[in-house]
Amino acid sequence: MPKCIIDGREVEFTPGQNLIEAAKGAGIDIPLFCYHPGLSVVAQCRMCAVEIEKMPKLQTACSTLAAEGMVVKTKSQKTVENQKSVMEFLLANHPLDCPICDKSGECDLQDNSYKHGSAYSRTTEERRTYLDLDMGPVIKKNMNRCIHCTRCIRFGSEIAEIREMVALKRGNNTEITTIDGRPLETDYAGNYADICPTGSLTIKDFRFKKRVWFLEKVPTVCEGCSKGCNMEIHQDNNQIYRCVPRENKEINHYWLCDEGRFNFHYVEREDRLLDPARTKTSGLEVCDWASSIDLAKAALAGKNIAILVGSDLTQEEAAAVLQFKEQHYSQASIYHFGTPGILSTRDDAPEDRILKRKSKTANLNGLEKLGIRGFSKLSADVTGLLIIRGGRATLPADIDGVEKVGIGVFMKDQALMFSVILPGLSFAEKDGTILNYEGREQRIRRALQPPGQAKGLSEILMMWANRKTSHGAA
Amino acid sequence: METSETLFIQYFNEESRPLAFYLQKMSGYTAAKKALAMPQDDIIAEMKKSNMRGRGGAGFPTGMKWGFIPKQSAKPKYLVCNADESEPGTFKDRDIMRYIPHLLIEGMVIGGYAIGAHHGYIYIRGEYTREAKLLDRAIEEAYEAGYLGKNIQGTGFDFDLTVHRGAGAYICGEETGLLNSLEGKRGEPRVKPPFPAQAGAFGGPTIVNNVETLAAVPYIIQKGGDWFSNLGKLDKSGGTRLFCVSGHVKKPGVYELGAGTVTLRQLIYDHCHGILGDKKLKAVIPGGSSAPVLTADEIDVIADIEPLMKIGTMLGSAAILVVSEDYCVVKLLQRITKFYAHESCGQCTPCREGCKWMEDIIERIEHGHGREEDLAMLLDISNNISGKTLCALGDAAAGPVMSFVKKFRADFEAHIRGGKCPNA
Repeated sequence: MPKCIIDGREVEFTPGQNLIEAAKGAGIDIPLFCYHPGLSVVAQCRMCAVEIEKMPKLQTACSTLAAEGMVVKTKSQKTVENQKSVMEFLLANHPLDCPICDKSGECDLQDNSYKHGSAYSRTTEERRTYLDLDMGPVIKKNMNRCIHCTRCIRFGSEIAEIREMVALKRGNNTEITTIDGRPLETDYAGNYADICPTGSLTIKDFRFKKRVWFLEKVPTVCEGCSKGCNMEIHQDNNQIYRCVPRENKEINHYWLCDEGRFNFHYVEREDRLLDPARTKTSGLEVCDWASSIDLAKAALAGKNIAILVGSDLTQEEAAAVLQFKEQHYSQASIYHFGTPGILSTRDDAPEDRILKRKSKTANLNGLEKLGIRGFSKLSADVTGLLIIRGGRATLPADIDGVEKVGIGVFMKDQALMFSVILPGLSFAEKDGTILNYEGREQRIRRALQPPGQAKGLSEILMMWANRKTSHGAA
Repeated sequence: METSETLFIQYFNEESRPLAFYLQKMSGYTAAKKALAMPQDDIIAEMKKSNMRGRGGAGFPTGMKWGFIPKQSAKPKYLVCNADESEPGTFKDRDIMRYIPHLLIEGMVIGGYAIGAHHGYIYIRGEYTREAKLLDRAIEEAYEAGYLGKNIQGTGFDFDLTVHRGAGAYICGEETGLLNSLEGKRGEPRVKPPFPAQAGAFGGPTIVNNVETLAAVPYIIQKGGDWFSNLGKLDKSGGTRLFCVSGHVKKPGVYELGAGTVTLRQLIYDHCHGILGDKKLKAVIPGGSSAPVLTADEIDVIADIEPLMKIGTMLGSAAILVVSEDYCVVKLLQRITKFYAHESCGQCTPCREGCKWMEDIIERIEHGHGREEDLAMLLDISNNISGKTLCALGDAAAGPVMSFVKKFRADFEAHIRGGKCPNA
């Protein structure tokens, strides 16, 4: 591999790599604002300018490719002075009110100001101000905090494939906004806030709900579709505050769709059933675990059973169900369900040109690999159904007229179709493996403690298997 | 007073405009006929010999620039004429387009042939509405007479020419800002490399030349590179130059003189008959408003690229702004800085934030609210902009501030200490 010298160290680089990436590979951070590895290079914030031997002017590290023998100084006096000056320019108009800004704690401008800026300001001029803009359901804009890095503009046109963010006017009056102030249209709007290096674009669903330094970040995988985008769940005190994309250059790069990002809300819905329960004509009646399991077994006793598993289950859960079936209901048939119209991976396909796929569950491929076929319709001889799902799979239609027991995550209105419900765990409350559409094995990780009386599937199945049913049902 | 041969100025009148005049009195389109029979490399060699240095402001050798264009290209090549003429004080290209449009058209046909382009654009500043119309009419005449279009003068060479009007932005005079604007995008300079000769208009290899540069090309082809080079008195700077003199002189206007044949003093006092009202000279800006200013005792300098560069300023677009003793230099700098702040495209942090900041400080000083520390701060801010932006607009804004504050410090201090403009 070719080598260059950065800060006196010999650094290997891949041809075509810019100085920011080459330096990063050697553990040297060059401060930056407008550069983003997933977007085109515009070299306009000027923060990453570095000194290069034999070049009279500073060169922006984002737009300069590493070259054999190049000698780069990222901490020379000239470089440091420029960083200080860029910080001063950026803060000439930026409000100095970090304590009340939601970005505080994860703000590039704040971090770089601490590292490379001055504690004192020389400006006495009135600051440039703009009106806030409500940009639709996902994003709110505070233009006063914008540093004109244009990452959002580039994200829109280059990744989301929609030119909805634009620069209006010019020079000191430049405003970064949507065309005519219209609401954002993309299904990927949350990324605008992720890549915003300041508190200019924030997510309405998250802003002012939690200071970011309190958040515990759990690396996991999105369960929103079969793509398997890598993301982090950010939780505090057993509550999810947000999900953000996690870099994976082979799957989702740096991005996450809004559907996946905001999918977690069902986990914390108030009407989620967290106790074992049975259905009576008067409605749901909460039971203890022992009697619920007895009731469930009794409900299915003597019936010709089919087991329907959601393709939102993990491989481990699905394997446990298969084992459970072999041992206790070996005559039963077993099918998977998840997305209306998607019976197998053959039906699954990209939904757009970015990330989304048609299968709205994460483990369709995994269940198929375990030999489970898709559920199309109830055969006439089936008289009892055991339905097991995470929380994402869409319940199959046209399953009336048979006895049903449900295990997993259900909302109260969904629960009424079952005689007995045994509450299970959502994707955020368990560990496990899923296979994305291309067969990539990935781990989802537990971010939350099990809520209420909900239990893991293997524990529920074990209780089911081990409990004597001699005392019968009530 | 030294006289020299001139190429343009004798034709700066309404009579010269029609094609008939151009053909009869100026041997119009014979240079193109000659060039289209020459090997392309010979044309470029002739341009190199001519020592033509680009007349837009940067003074880059034109022959060398043409030589950068790749011989083979998958994408179409383009020749673009920069007729944005946006540097304050510059008004020479306007006269060429207004009075001898066919000279420019012929120059573009030759240039297009030399670099292998079959389409040319004249990007003209939005304010030049009349000139845009005149150019359109001249181009129409040239098409009808077979000097443009398919199989030009029976040589088999095709060349189309389109006039594209700008919408009024200084930054579109910067060649990559111009190319973005030409493509229908925001007029913002591009990251270089790639340079336009590699990837310019619509991604194709592109040469961008100033009006005066291209208008000289037929002469160079007709009379030879050596002849053109010898019109200038200095090495590596051939031809004549159109000087645009404005401000407090008795006879402002466009002057054409051999490159390197006059000093600023001769230009101001001999050609322009001295300062209005016979007042004293205070300052001279020698190359458009972005050029660092000179004081009255610095004008015994040859008005050309190298001599001016040696004393820390530049010839730029050869727009000489003359300031008499009774005009406030702080007010002048305020006006200049306001212009650059207004025209900054807003991409680069130092230019976007710094130009406005400098404007605010200078305005404060001019109005008597300046502070002792303001001058040091102005020098610091301008230094933080200079050389630290994508394009030269930052430098254009910083240069005047640095030079005015350094050379006329007493005037600034008088404003600050006196609490008002002494001239007010």
